[in-house]
Amino acid sequence: MSRLSKKSPSVCTDLPLDNTDICEKLYLLKQILRSCFGPTGRLKQVHNNIGGHVVTTSASSVLLSSVSSSQPFINLIKTSILNHVSRFSDCGLFAAILCLSLIEQVKKSALRESVAIRVNKHSLGLCTSYLQREDCDCRVKLDFCSSQNLITLARSIISSKPACVLTEPETLHISKLAVQAFLLTVPCSSPGVVSLGRIVTVPVEGHSVLSSAVLPGLLVEMPDGLSKGESLPNPLSVVVFSASLAGDLSELGNGVIEVHPGVDTDSQILGQLLELGRQVVNNEVKLFVCQKVIHPVLQQYLRSHGVIVVERLGIALMEPLSQLTGAQPVATLHTTIPSKAYGNVRDLSIRRFGSKTMLHLLPLGESVICTMILCHRNQTMLNELKVVCQVTEHVLRLTLREPFALLGGGCTETHLAAYVRHKSKNDVPEAALLLGCSQTEYLLGVELFCRALESAAGALEHDGGNSLIDLTHAHRWTLPADSIKETNDSLGFCGCGLVESSPSSKWTYLNTKYAEFCPSPLFRDTPVQPRVLDSFTAKLSALQVAIETANLALDIKYIIQDMN
Amino acid sequence: MPPLEHLHMKNVLQTVGVLEAVILRSFGPEGGQVLFTRDTGQAMLSRSGTRILTALQLEHPLARLCVWKHSTATGDGSKTFILLLASLLRLIHAAASKEPNVSHSYNSTKAAEAATARHLADKLLAFALKELDELIATGVVPYGGRISWEDFTATAQSPSLANNLCVQKLLRSFFHTRFGYTHCDFISHLACELLSYWKFKNELPSFSLQFVSDNFPALHTPVSGFPVCASRLIDGQVIHRDFATPPLKTDHQPVKAVVLTRSLQPTLLNTGDVLEVGCGGRMMEERSIVHFSAWMERSLQGIIANLQTLGVCVLLSAVKQSAAVLALATQAEMCVVECVSEDELSLFVRLSGTIPIWDCSMIEPEHVVTLTFCRPIQLGGHRYVHVAFQDSEERITVKPCSLVICAPGEGQTEQYACALQDAVRMLLRTWEPMHAAVTTTSKRTLQSHKSSSLHTDNLTDRTTYRSSAIQPIHKCVLEPGCVISAGGSFELLLHYALLQHGHSCSVSHDLNIDTSVSQLLANALLSVPQKIYAHSPRHFLETQSKVINSELDLGLESVSCKYQLLLAVLQCVRSLLKVDTVLPTHIALHTQSSRPASTSWEDTEDELLSGYIHLHTHTHTHIVYHAIYKEE
Repeated sequence: MSRLSKKSPSVCTDLPLDNTDICEKLYLLKQILRSCFGPTGRLKQVHNNIGGHVVTTSASSVLLSSVSSSQPFINLIKTSILNHVSRFSDCGLFAAILCLSLIEQVKKSALRESVAIRVNKHSLGLCTSYLQREDCDCRVKLDFCSSQNLITLARSIISSKPACVLTEPETLHISKLAVQAFLLTVPCSSPGVVSLGRIVTVPVEGHSVLSSAVLPGLLVEMPDGLSKGESLPNPLSVVVFSASLAGDLSELGNGVIEVHPGVDTDSQILGQLLELGRQVVNNEVKLFVCQKVIHPVLQQYLRSHGVIVVERLGIALMEPLSQLTGAQPVATLHTTIPSKAYGNVRDLSIRRFGSKTMLHLLPLGESVICTMILCHRNQTMLNELKVVCQVTEHVLRLTLREPFALLGGGCTETHLAAYVRHKSKNDVPEAALLLGCSQTEYLLGVELFCRALESAAGALEHDGGNSLIDLTHAHRWTLPADSIKETNDSLGFCGCGLVESSPSSKWTYLNTKYAEFCPSPLFRDTPVQPRVLDSFTAKLSALQVAIETANLALDIKYIIQDMN
Repeated sequence: MPPLEHLHMKNVLQTVGVLEAVILRSFGPEGGQVLFTRDTGQAMLSRSGTRILTALQLEHPLARLCVWKHSTATGDGSKTFILLLASLLRLIHAAASKEPNVSHSYNSTKAAEAATARHLADKLLAFALKELDELIATGVVPYGGRISWEDFTATAQSPSLANNLCVQKLLRSFFHTRFGYTHCDFISHLACELLSYWKFKNELPSFSLQFVSDNFPALHTPVSGFPVCASRLIDGQVIHRDFATPPLKTDHQPVKAVVLTRSLQPTLLNTGDVLEVGCGGRMMEERSIVHFSAWMERSLQGIIANLQTLGVCVLLSAVKQSAAVLALATQAEMCVVECVSEDELSLFVRLSGTIPIWDCSMIEPEHVVTLTFCRPIQLGGHRYVHVAFQDSEERITVKPCSLVICAPGEGQTEQYACALQDAVRMLLRTWEPMHAAVTTTSKRTLQSHKSSSLHTDNLTDRTTYRSSAIQPIHKCVLEPGCVISAGGSFELLLHYALLQHGHSCSVSHDLNIDTSVSQLLANALLSVPQKIYAHSPRHFLETQSKVINSELDLGLESVSCKYQLLLAVLQCVRSLLKVDTVLPTHIALHTQSSRPASTSWEDTEDELLSGYIHLHTHTHTHIVYHAIYKEE
């Protein structure tokens, strides 16, 4: 109580979007994130002021969480995007760039914020309902009979993280592994509610990426004193303990225990543990696993009876292990272990990856547990690769709920912008009346929204090239910086790889005014497959979160900071 | 002795003016949000006036006085409160400086002004307490409408009904003032749906509203990282904990559950007990420590076996269970949910009609409840337990459901949750226009009953709810459920009613009523619609004519909330003007004696105390008050 001090008054900021300091910070944040976007994005090195670990990355989750600002306005946008990333893993940079561009566009224009908010919401509604439609032209239905599109989806994610430093064949290899691991976790034949399995990742440093692999079953640390030559029965019986077997007392309460001299409590407990060991050996258990520590004497006893002992497994592997083996964790020491608590593995083998030697547990039947061994040349790249594989796994899982993907390479954004422009031109009077603003205000608001979308698409370009949009399908194209003449034939394919340039097509630069048109549908019977795909679920949510966050930021009129 | 700070009307006006300027940023249709950070660094968003004012951490005692706690009762109107306060003070000041009270012999004009102002404030309050409700009933209510409970609950069954839009409109305009245009439609629809699910059959509407209001923390789950439109209602109850054991594998339904309040594992040694090992005592044959733990495990197995014979497969526990319990339960194919919060557990007990287990050795069939399902539910980054109750005629009179509130950031989910809770409170006040004193007492009793509801029987619990809901209502002319179009029409109508009243009084030469008072109040009221239409004066004039012809369609507001707000403003004005000196003192905060009355106060009033004592001139003697903020 003596340290009670009077509270200091709060610091207030009126109209934050008119504040130059905040605007500069917003611009800086946008530039940082823009330069990281896409496969050719520039990397950022994050290191702290006390000489800590240096992280090289272009991932939004790492970047945004390391950007700390004293300005709550910046933090508000930051946490919104980070929350999106923590739910969907993907499209964080897209959401952030779109949100910041939209704020900037509205700020630059003379449009009132309250009108901009209404129009943004209206335009977002147009986009989301279009993306949900059956005849949506920037959406691809995923076919689980072929892994082609799944691999493309995985590859788009992995190649969008240049900090992994992967060559083209390496990217393909990792993409295939990611899809393979994902498919292993989906149970083949289980009626009713399907529960997906787990991918356990084992990172191995110093090896070529191409030696990464996916194995069914689980890898655990190699136990000591395992002789190789021994022939083991098939299948092996397994017991799993979740309680400590180190000889400590289980929870007795808060009271005091008085031990009289001459009583050897330790040996009594050890005797109990050995009794347990005897029981296990009699039941012909060949693999004895404990989450915590096992008393050395018990270990010795078990080994001498030909049982393989694995201790200190850790809580993380307990659930996959009991799923794999079918064993139920035991935590009682005094009662007979029920027969159904025992589990089985088909086989054990010893595997070597670089410096690591591990015990491979193979499942008896079909199992949804698999292990992914990721190899890379150094620690930093390996960390990034690990993150990327987790993101890929998450995105692939999302496709189970909504089996769609969106065209990547900026084509979805340009297409949506063209669609919104076209759609809104047709219902100006009604929409303006509905939103309670004038028709000019409405059209201006829509234009700002579309420009923000196109600006997000344009952010994919980093090498000084220009982004173009074609006036038939409204896909995004890149005009390299070194091409002097703007001829149509040099453009090749569009961003997603679905449209090939033809002499009849017309282009215009992104963010220039063009006469609105209705994007014409593609012929779906062509054998051309898209080369770049984005996650449908993640991108849809990113779009919504970006617009909602921008709307919120535009709505903030006052900031109060508690300085206590 | 620190220097005295003599207060003058001008100081008061200045302080209130500053507050008004802040509030105006988020007032009216062009108003926006206010972002504020807590002392913990956590960011919050709000358009709620109370929140904004408390976040300012005001130091000046006068300013703190303005942060009145009236909105706890109505859940609404703190922005209008400040605006009305400022405009009233301005008018009083103008009136007082124009004609200082000459009947008293004051030695300075300042003192004379203050006396006149004080006098005016007293008269205003007296007038309002006496006449205002009747004036509202005759001058305002006829232009509005009434919403009834039936309208409201009809929303879920048939959304096509025209008249049930009423409640939704009321909620919509409330939410519009709380988070702007973008999501008010969606959220008001959601709130309507929630309330119609929670309609208790054969109960007063206020009972249902009070129930939702009391249990709101357990009834909603904030989920960040999703767009707002992902918010939804889900059947049954969400228990905000994850399974401690693998969840039920088989999807068999229904499932049987029990509620535990203590550890299943018997505690061998309580604090203070001493276990002697190896002493060769006569009482205990077994001397080894191993036998004690063996005994413990055996009794635990017995309990689990007992539960198994009862067919139980879900254990909801208020406390953490030991590893042995979890392992044995897993082996018996039961799932365990540990550390369920008391609020959620008591709601579960209430909805399921079960009895929590106190003594693990005596588990009877009446402890067992049958659930439709019990399964994991992934909401955002957390996995929770989702249970649904079986419909049983005698027990359940509602369709329990939970609200999932989604938004991109934590600040927003919190904002939406707060606004929803306030909306329920506002509805409650609309249905039950009661005096503030009655409200607070009935609330107290409700809360005290609720805290013990875990142990008491269901039936008695419900009767206490009902009895407290129909407490005698003091003098109240206003009928329940009165609403009026939003957008300043209440203020405009009352403005005209007051003018007319003043006119009729002056005609009849009623000497008891000072016409200047009603005139003053009428003018002060006009400031609110003026501020609403500040961006376009044309709208203001249009609205004025529309209100008279009652063709305004801007949403709805509750009349009784407005009435209470007006009373609170007048009370605040009076106490503001009564203070004449601020006397800063240095109180040693750790001594108990210096804050004798602090125990009964609530948080913000505690803060008010820190460092300030007011000299209160009352009947010309100086009295030191600690608790000036309390109404005498």
